[in-house]
Amino acid sequence: MKSFEDSIPLPPSDAEEISTACDYCSIGCGYRVYRWPVGKMGGPKKNQNALNINFPAAGLSGNWISPAMHNIINHKGVQHHIIVLPDPHMSVVNIEGDHSIRGGALAQKLYNPNSLTHDRLHKPLLRINGKLEPIEWDDAIEIFAQLSQYAIDQFGRSSWAQKRYSYQFFENTYALSKLAWQSIQSPAFAEHDNPGKFPSTPGLIDAGIDNFSACYEDYYESDVLFISGSDPYETKTILFNQWIKRGIEEKDNRVIMVNPRKTSGVAYVEEMDGLHLPIMPGTDTLLHLALIRIILENGWEDRDFINEYISTPLDQRKYKKSKRKVPWRWMNSYDDFKAESFDDYKTWVLNSKESQLQFVIERTGLSAKQITATAEILAKPKEDGKRPKTSFFFEKGLYWSNNYLNTASLASLALICGAGNRPGQMISRMGGHQRGGMTTTNFPRLEQPREFEGYHRQALDLDRWLESGKLRFTWVVGTTWIGSMTASTTLRDAIENQTINHKVQLTSKKSVIKQAKQRMDEGGMFLVDQDIYLTREIGKKYADLILPSATWGESDFVRANSERRLRVYSKISDPPGEAKPDWEIVALIGKKMGFSGYDWKYPHEVFAEAAQASRRTIFNFQNLADEAKRRLTNTHEVLRSFGSEGIQAPIQYRNGKLIGTKRLHDPNYIIYQNDKRLKTRFTKGMSQFKTTHGKANLIKSPWEYFEDFYETVKPRDEELWVLNGRINEIWQTGFDDLLRRKQIRDRWPHNFLEIHPKDANKLNIESGDMVKVSSDRILVQSEEFAGDTLEDNRFKNLLKKGFIRTVSASVELVAIVSEVVRPGVTFTYFNFPGSTANNLVSRVPDPISGNYRFKLGVGKITKIRESKYKNDLSKMSFAPRYPI
Amino acid sequence: MSKCHIELSRRDFLFAGASGVVLVAFPSMGKTTQQKQGFYPKEKIIQMARLRPGQVHYFEYPQKSSQMCMLVRLDRPAGGGVGPNQDIVAFHTMCTHMGRQLIGRYNHQHKVLGPCPVHLSVFDLSRYGMLTSGQATQSLPQVILEQKNSWIEAKGYSQLLYGHHTNSR
Repeated sequence: MKSFEDSIPLPPSDAEEISTACDYCSIGCGYRVYRWPVGKMGGPKKNQNALNINFPAAGLSGNWISPAMHNIINHKGVQHHIIVLPDPHMSVVNIEGDHSIRGGALAQKLYNPNSLTHDRLHKPLLRINGKLEPIEWDDAIEIFAQLSQYAIDQFGRSSWAQKRYSYQFFENTYALSKLAWQSIQSPAFAEHDNPGKFPSTPGLIDAGIDNFSACYEDYYESDVLFISGSDPYETKTILFNQWIKRGIEEKDNRVIMVNPRKTSGVAYVEEMDGLHLPIMPGTDTLLHLALIRIILENGWEDRDFINEYISTPLDQRKYKKSKRKVPWRWMNSYDDFKAESFDDYKTWVLNSKESQLQFVIERTGLSAKQITATAEILAKPKEDGKRPKTSFFFEKGLYWSNNYLNTASLASLALICGAGNRPGQMISRMGGHQRGGMTTTNFPRLEQPREFEGYHRQALDLDRWLESGKLRFTWVVGTTWIGSMTASTTLRDAIENQTINHKVQLTSKKSVIKQAKQRMDEGGMFLVDQDIYLTREIGKKYADLILPSATWGESDFVRANSERRLRVYSKISDPPGEAKPDWEIVALIGKKMGFSGYDWKYPHEVFAEAAQASRRTIFNFQNLADEAKRRLTNTHEVLRSFGSEGIQAPIQYRNGKLIGTKRLHDPNYIIYQNDKRLKTRFTKGMSQFKTTHGKANLIKSPWEYFEDFYETVKPRDEELWVLNGRINEIWQTGFDDLLRRKQIRDRWPHNFLEIHPKDANKLNIESGDMVKVSSDRILVQSEEFAGDTLEDNRFKNLLKKGFIRTVSASVELVAIVSEVVRPGVTFTYFNFPGSTANNLVSRVPDPISGNYRFKLGVGKITKIRESKYKNDLSKMSFAPRYPI
Repeated sequence: MSKCHIELSRRDFLFAGASGVVLVAFPSMGKTTQQKQGFYPKEKIIQMARLRPGQVHYFEYPQKSSQMCMLVRLDRPAGGGVGPNQDIVAFHTMCTHMGRQLIGRYNHQHKVLGPCPVHLSVFDLSRYGMLTSGQATQSLPQVILEQKNSWIEAKGYSQLLYGHHTNSR
């Protein structure tokens, strides 16, 4: 375990240099890899090392190699040293080699049998008599193909499911969707954080705004930043340190943070003349509406912008005609949401109870002073009549607590302030993970079993579909599934009953196919888990077949960051054992099942094929593929020529050059589309708002659509809110950093609960105590289909019809008494190994969008004992993360 | 970004007699990691009697090496702490994220060093310099101390110092 060393090897001058990008958060910093055979060593003089500098490296030069940046890997079967260094020459994203704690230790994620990565999966495994046994790839693919075919033939396409990550590189997601949607044509599909194929930010989409329209310069260019539901310092580090913080220091930008917690970035912003709005969970819609009312009453709205870019009844007439394109969520409740015009919206806001200050104060926990001060900063013109340039940025705290209404009302607030399509005046998600999803265009919509009025088919909720016993073959790729969904104990029980607790078990390699078919016949399920580690129960405990994947650094891949910047993520080392990248596994399965179009030999072939599918997306890279043909090379090589800085999609072609696109919806940013020789045409949404008429829509957000659920779920009696989310040191489920890096394991040996001193005193809890957080009223929607209309799906009606049941769950956490949280609110890590806080969250999806409300956990807290960390000076720190 | 740029001295810091390598377990590493202590000189830092709780004493270790360190009595038992209450600790003062000096950033109430002004990293001095929050990929290098009669002596570093590829030269 290599965490503590007092020397590292320097790369010799002739070490290979490879450009790549970070695997972790949405920002995707540029990295430079040095690789050289073990046995050689560079020296500290400028001419003796590949960095071409004299050691020691200067402070803030970005040239220091920390021990976490070194590893020893196999390259073409030969041991090599490797240094993964934040690229000190970056002029975009992570300028001058800045990096996060996650990316700074990328080298440690690469497979090395003498490190904490020793348990990477090497070979396919099959569960025989309850034990996982290694098998050959040929056999694994044979089993997969035969059982898939059987499920489809006997039980229909929708009995075959794919549950996968949404973002692990274009090559993989394209290949996976091609097999599931185009070849097998199953509608039973969900990505890692949705129960079905639903958009994550439907309110924003209905307004006509793309999630990732802004670029990082906008975070610097804005005078005012409204940041909601995330602390970018904790989870999008470089966006904060290089763009937001620099804007505060150099331009006196003012930042407003809406966040129930006062985390490091929030505390810093407050010190620098910013505002912190410690909102009560789930009530953002009300805050937005109160702000809109104050702005409208004072006439601070951006009139010029509204006149030019907000849709009118005339514009919308066109929209209404295309009934097929109206999202199903609007089919029966159209009039409740869509504003005909700005005036219509204004009338609604000024007449609604939910925008009244008193109503809002009582529910958001904010003061009138805080709200009015915010409205002034956001929109009040200066004495010379000039408006502040205000941008609106958000992430999961906003849209995973009250999905539709929060995103719709934020979009309306931002549009009224004139944001959406100009430098420093944008609306954008900040992103969690990077954007690596590329799918074929032909989702088998008509295979969705539920059809209703207006040619509409309701997307499947995969969790409920599984629980109602409809699945026979399920393929999980790169996600924990169970711990990632809410009230996950119910899903876990269903999976358990249909696999390891099913009466038909697999007893020998020879009879696997026969027995698995028998299990399917008798209502059970064959479960395949494809992953890099076997850390979570979905693989370790339940899956019948395990397929070992290769990942970042083990194949060439392409992905975009949250400003649509495409890079090649280069192959650095051999994958462990017989592990293969997911696209290659898909190719084997596709061919074995007799489908055509799976003859890929190299990842760049998959990428080039995906170019066509990219044309309807913001990642349009068709021009890259065309350029590869002109240069007689492959598409990866063309992109690689842009190095670790890459190029921003959609990629344009002008005067013989490939040109990136900084910002979307910007009418002044002309996207070239007249050259008839080019294959690609950019959709209008790139340089206009993404609606059929090119203008933005204002969307109403009536509180009553959430109120019924909210009033039921919010804490009662001794309960407190148990929020969940991320912290800086841990990536997602910790599979790749927490479990693989000694320094992170020491920092976080156990999941934690932040609790305010006032609440802690009442419960006699001190930092370091082990507490139990439990709830016996976790609400679960049980039926797959609750009715055709939005009205049928509303919580109050589900309750009436008996579609809601309650379950219980508990987790044990180490208490950290801290003023980071406000009284009444606690916080814990969402999906920590062995401690899944998502279990405490109700599973009643937003009736308008179908998404879960992940953040609204509630529980009773009791002290159990002192944890062993209370007095252990080598593990876990209870000091404040931002001492003031 | 170069606003707070601090040049590291190019002067090599010479550690005395790199002849014998003595392996001594240092508690900050848990029980597994061992340190090559023979590279480091033993140097007197300060007399016990002069130490007041919370008062920071800055020194170079090794002497005249330009490697700035701080010694402080935390007034609470600490990992790697010496003295009758095991509360005297010393650390290298350069942030292990990007190399910013952390001089003047000690917070006695919470026993932490930070936040670093450039990227906000914070280190817990009562827990072997563990990163409490921030972006560094390793703890703050702790100066290994020993109490000898009325003196506190330094005898090594727990890990690689910022900017360097080796401590032992």
